[in-house]
Amino acid sequence: MKTLTIVLTDGPYISEYAEIACKLADSALEQYQVNIFLYLDAVHIPKKGQTPSFFTSAGELFTGLAEKGAVIRACARCAAARGYIAEEENENGSNCRDYLPGIKISSLYELAEMLKKSDRVISLPR
Amino acid sequence: MKSVFYLLDSAPYGSEKAFGALNAAAVSLAGMRVTLGLYGDGVYLAVAGQESKKLGVPNLSDILYSYGELRVLVHEPSLIERGLFGETFIETLELADEEDFLEEMESFECVVLF
Repeated sequence: MKTLTIVLTDGPYISEYAEIACKLADSALEQYQVNIFLYLDAVHIPKKGQTPSFFTSAGELFTGLAEKGAVIRACARCAAARGYIAEEENENGSNCRDYLPGIKISSLYELAEMLKKSDRVISLPR
Repeated sequence: MKSVFYLLDSAPYGSEKAFGALNAAAVSLAGMRVTLGLYGDGVYLAVAGQESKKLGVPNLSDILYSYGELRVLVHEPSLIERGLFGETFIETLELADEEDFLEEMESFECVVLF
């Protein structure tokens, strides 16, 4: 199976990129292994408890993707800078108590590994 | 993929993007052909003599010097448009005109934008 990696650098709601990435990933999952790397402000996307009044919760969209098999990882340095701390993996398949299920904090080296294993890469910066 | 071109078009100290691009390029050096392309406001990163102590952020030119094996390509027309062509640049960087810059980008399997 071919692999698609999506790199995001924006937080949720400030742009449409989180939602666009989610739609792309959802379609791609039918024929690709999908990896998503959350970098810089994108590490906010999987935060628990988002209740936007006028938008779909970006966190819920991404945890749904993880349920469908997408591998979603957040940069550890960016996450720590924003208050998200990596711990032991919990029963929800995350290693951060502030993150939604299935999404983990990992090293930036994982971005390089994802790129190496990819057949296609999409980056969505603002 | 065996090659990645990181394209930075943001100024070095106005946001975390340049720092993020440099770090991403540095970790990709192991096992991949990597070039960091400076375009638009990203070309300010090429200027020598950067001092960031008062900003309380890392000196990004020090990071460039630390990763001498990282190829950094500077878009010459962007330098000219910003009146920077007469400045002194970090020695390890390469300047490229429009055609060469594009040709270099096209030779990579993927482009990651910052």
